Amino acid sequence: MFSEQLIGNLIQGLVLGTIYGMATMGLSLIFGVLKVVNVGHGAFIMVGAFVTLFLFNALGLNPILAIPVAFIIGMALGYLFYYTTIKRLIKAPELATLLATFAIGVLLEEVIKLIFGSEFRGYNWAVGKVSLGITVLPLSKLYACAGSIIIAVLLYLWFNKTRAGSAMRSVVEDSEGARVCGVNVSGTYALSFALGIGLTMASGVLLTMFIPVGINPYMGGGYTLKAFVIAVLGGLASPYGAFFGGLVFGLLENGSYTIFALIPGVEPFALTRFFSFVMLLIILLIRPTGLLSRK
Amino acid sequence: MLQVKDLESGYGSMQVLWKPSLEVKRGTITSLLGPNGAGKSTLLATIFGSVEPWGGKVIYEDRDVTQIPTHKKVDMGIALVPEGKHLFPNMSVYENLSMGAYLKKALVHKEESLELVYSLFPRLRERRNQMAGSLSGGEQQMVTIARGLMTKPKLMMLDEPSQGLAPKLVGEVFETILKMKEEVGLTILLIEQNADASLEAADYVYVMHEGLIKAQGTPAEIKQSADIREAYLGI
Ligand SMILES: Nc1ncnc2c1ncn2[C@@H]1O[C@H](COP(=O)(O)OP(=O)(O)OP(=O)(O)O)[C@@H](O)[C@H]1O
Ligand SMILES: [Mg+2]
Repeated sequence: MFSEQLIGNLIQGLVLGTIYGMATMGLSLIFGVLKVVNVGHGAFIMVGAFVTLFLFNALGLNPILAIPVAFIIGMALGYLFYYTTIKRLIKAPELATLLATFAIGVLLEEVIKLIFGSEFRGYNWAVGKVSLGITVLPLSKLYACAGSIIIAVLLYLWFNKTRAGSAMRSVVEDSEGARVCGVNVSGTYALSFALGIGLTMASGVLLTMFIPVGINPYMGGGYTLKAFVIAVLGGLASPYGAFFGGLVFGLLENGSYTIFALIPGVEPFALTRFFSFVMLLIILLIRPTGLLSRK
Repeated sequence: MLQVKDLESGYGSMQVLWKPSLEVKRGTITSLLGPNGAGKSTLLATIFGSVEPWGGKVIYEDRDVTQIPTHKKVDMGIALVPEGKHLFPNMSVYENLSMGAYLKKALVHKEESLELVYSLFPRLRERRNQMAGSLSGGEQQMVTIARGLMTKPKLMMLDEPSQGLAPKLVGEVFETILKMKEEVGLTILLIEQNADASLEAADYVYVMHEGLIKAQGTPAEIKQSADIREAYLGI
């Protein structure tokens, strides 16, 4: 009975974990290329969620179609914020970009609040469920999981099989080396910021497909924190590391939830969060470069 | 082929280049000597464009390229082999070399460039699947030069290519540089700590100190001048 529940939750955790992973790739990409920690990460997830909500409720658009829409809006926002803000701060001490991305996050939250208000919203996309015996999975969650895997694979192929991808990898490895090879380094910086934001906004769509409720302007903070834990799990600078970090995190979160639920008098959900950050601290103590990283 | 006129640049508010001027003639090896901190690397970086010029001019093949971005300069045939290697450590030797042929013009000639590079550095053919980060210092230096060659340059600027190498390897590097001039037909602007070897290989020499060109001449002229040798070269 308990083991069935645990396995059921772990399956849910695996599905959610792929989405978590995908939702952290943008953060890792931006850090890997630009060495900028995007503190406004969760706010972009939130904007992606609102894009989904708006397209679904106002236009009746299938959330799957919201993925490319959010991605393109994200790319555009990424370029906008890169050229207006980040580019000027790239050479300044790290605190400058931390504050700037924090400010961008606040700006996005307040703009969305102005347009949509601050109440919790949701949408109801009835596409059916599949029963796995132990647990029941709505198809929307499976689509989100498949979407995450497809996007991760596409990103992998783009990185490793295209010229633009190899340019970006070379900038990650050594930007001065990339420059003498003829890579347009500043253009690559702009592209990677835009791509990172595009991926993050697309992940906002995927997350609402998994959890279609609780959409509000301030939902991003929790995701920023989770993304930091996941990124550290996977090695901060590697998008694929982030993807696997997401899987591990999803499993641990759901697994520990099941176990904490057994302890009488404990609110398991709160304890799960506590557990995640204890994990972050432990990892930082024993392997500051990340659990799955090479170095 | 390359003229530098009254170039100025620096870092932040600190000026490093105080209007040095020089000329590199086609098909020659021009050597830039001078003590540590003279601004030699800064001069090459400013010619290349990775350090922004504050004033003065860089003329390449009769064209003002002072403000041209680095990726366009590489496309025009200017290569910089930077100080401190700047390889891609988690890519194989072959991938590093391929990155040298990143631009379309160089990509067209990738196979013949590879042949050339492997004939100059046979070791790199053996090591082509090894990660660049795990090579020895000397091998890494070979990859840096080879990657520069892969860009199919006409002018190659080398910043201390023999830095940190054993004396025997230093000799090999200079042999390669001579081959690049004579067999490949490159024009070379070379920074070297190793003044003796550099005077041996060069056709013309500039001596730099505190951001300025303090002396110039043929290697024979520089060697003859005890003043120059004592004041700037310590030989
Ligand atoms: N990235 C940088 N930021 C700030 N200052 C720098 C930077 N690079 C060089 N400098 C300073 O500029 C001056 C000239 O340095 P440069 O590297 O051009 O000298 P160099 O002649 O190449 O010396 P070396 O023989 O040691 O390589 C030095 O005072 C150095 O401290
Ligand atoms: Mg130097």
